[in-house]
Amino acid sequence: MFMAALILMVSTGLFFFYLQAVCQKILRRQFTQEFFQSIVNANRLEFPSVRKAIEDFGSPVEYPRLTVTLKCDFLALTYLLKNAANVNQRYSYEERLLILYFKLVFVSLVTRHWLKLRETPAALKLTAILQYFANVVGERVNTVRFGNLAASDYLLNL
Amino acid sequence: MPFKGDQLLLCGVQYATYALEVWVCLSLVWGGRWRRLKGLGLYVTSLFLLDGVARPAVSNFFGAKSTPFYYFYWTTDVVFVLGAFAVICGFLRRACTREEKLWSFVRLLLIFVFLIVLGVSTLSLTRHYANLYILYIIELSQNLYFTCLVLNTLLYVMLQQLAIDDDELGLLSCGMGVQFAGEAACFALLHLTADSTMARVLTQFLAPCCTLAMLWIWIYAIGKTPQTVSDRYEPRRDEGLVEAVADQ
Repeated sequence: MFMAALILMVSTGLFFFYLQAVCQKILRRQFTQEFFQSIVNANRLEFPSVRKAIEDFGSPVEYPRLTVTLKCDFLALTYLLKNAANVNQRYSYEERLLILYFKLVFVSLVTRHWLKLRETPAALKLTAILQYFANVVGERVNTVRFGNLAASDYLLNL
Repeated sequence: MPFKGDQLLLCGVQYATYALEVWVCLSLVWGGRWRRLKGLGLYVTSLFLLDGVARPAVSNFFGAKSTPFYYFYWTTDVVFVLGAFAVICGFLRRACTREEKLWSFVRLLLIFVFLIVLGVSTLSLTRHYANLYILYIIELSQNLYFTCLVLNTLLYVMLQQLAIDDDELGLLSCGMGVQFAGEAACFALLHLTADSTMARVLTQFLAPCCTLAMLWIWIYAIGKTPQTVSDRYEPRRDEGLVEAVADQ
């Protein structure tokens, strides 16, 4: 009985650990250039400033602003992921997994705040996910711009 | 016989698993990674042939509740786990490519662990004398499942500790981890709840879902991760000779 309970706990923990490791591996993907900057500028996203605040001062901006900022950027980027230069108009499997991962990390951020633990690691993870999304969107837009079709041609052909 | 909703869902998951198994094999062949990932290819092919072809054939021939199918099912199950153990050994070998001393230690450890699992499974038989064959392979398969999970975790820790920059191997190991952790949790839950209906239904769905997740992670690993240096650059056999002639 004790062994079965131990195996259940260890296995469940390892299951979630491996899922998290897969997400981290996906986030490590190298893009040919930093596409996210143009997307951030064009859409006035705020996650780079959140990350800069964490890196410079060691702690994020005040909590309510942090959550609203990250959530708004997440909504904007997931909309762009689905609709900007995406012929299929749907998320890929890895994007779906990362969206789920974002939501789980967001819950962990809220929980950490309630428990008065350090929020910085969770906030950094969230900004890394948002940067990945912005890079994917930027890469797609870049492909459309420099492919055979101009962006306007693409939109007219939809 | 009309399908119930859960049976239909289970059937869908099962066919999705077969489709992903074929997809893994095809991406190995098309991606030209077959030679480097031979073990993985063989494992997935055998998974498809035994689970997708042989089991339904035996079930149709003898009946799903017949004794021959029961024996066949559990024998193939132990073949899968032994295959998975071999795949993990292959992954560990790949992780230790540049650490021959470490590999000689890991090899001994693997042999030792395998013998221990065989021994522990045999010892557990002393409590049961009837139907020894099936009891032995069920016990062996459960013990090997948990051993594979532990070995896979060891592999993952080794990849981190030795700072091996092999994203493909890391993802393949994560896929294995998801499969084994999920299955081991299911086995433990079944044991804890004394084989309750609720746990049985949950296990029926969770186990194939874990296999699906593993195959999806493997497809991502094979298709999306950049080729490693050793993969991109394989020196030809005559290259050393050409260099020697050039030096002269």
